[in-house]
Amino acid sequence: MRPEMERVLFKSKYYTAYQPEKGRCFFVEIQGRIIRMSFCQLLAFRQKVSAINLDAHFYSDLNHSGTEILVLCNREHIFILDTKEVIDLKVFIHGIFEKSSASTLVSA
Amino acid sequence: MKDLVRERLSINVDVMDLLNKQIAKEAHSSSIYLAMASWCDHNALDNSAHFFYKQAEEEREHMMKIFKFINDNGGTAYSPEVKNIPHDYNSLEEIFESALEQEIAITKSIHNIVIKCRKVNDFATEHFIQWFVEEQMEEEQVIRKALDLFDLMGNNGISIKLIDERIPSIKE
Repeated sequence: MRPEMERVLFKSKYYTAYQPEKGRCFFVEIQGRIIRMSFCQLLAFRQKVSAINLDAHFYSDLNHSGTEILVLCNREHIFILDTKEVIDLKVFIHGIFEKSSASTLVSA
Repeated sequence: MKDLVRERLSINVDVMDLLNKQIAKEAHSSSIYLAMASWCDHNALDNSAHFFYKQAEEEREHMMKIFKFINDNGGTAYSPEVKNIPHDYNSLEEIFESALEQEIAITKSIHNIVIKCRKVNDFATEHFIQWFVEEQMEEEQVIRKALDLFDLMGNNGISIKLIDERIPSIKE
């Protein structure tokens, strides 16, 4: 289900984050699937993405397959991402938090 | 549109990452002090062993303070993995020298958090971390006092036993 009524929070090449008008959750679209996330799950998602060693994708002895397995929301969702998707995912997750005033913490 | 991230999180998310790294450093530091305490225990240096057991406890308390701060402010604190703890030392002096290096590294890391807080206007965390700035000054001073004893009394035979007897007074 695409959350048409929700506002786009941030969009990158492969992913989109939505925020509903009501409720305290986020929706993230990954590989055509819409995932509902609490803030806590969003932070866990961010932590997993930050832990991905991108350099390893460029050294075949460190990452033979050039893919990354991402397990989200208490193992409810699993994704296999290639290098391009991983690079974009790092941009995506940074963008979500950069949009918030939590990144500046003062009034404009 | 409501700023849900800000509503849920009172601290800057990059500062939260640094605090999580600090948790790991404090845990590592606590384990190193425990290894030092064990070495002292095995070498009949009871007061030094007691000193390092207390240091290990203190570092863990520091870790818990940061851990709680992150969670209280809407972030997620991560329980750290602790690896690569050295257990081999040649002398009590070497242990205190390592302890000072350890404390200096922690101080630098705390200062880096202050710098980041100022850069992103995270005044709440800056205020919180000031306690650690003062604490680190005291920690360094205490270890320096121990090293002064080696300068005064030497590093062999009976002087080691005499230094060990004076270790409880360096925290006063």
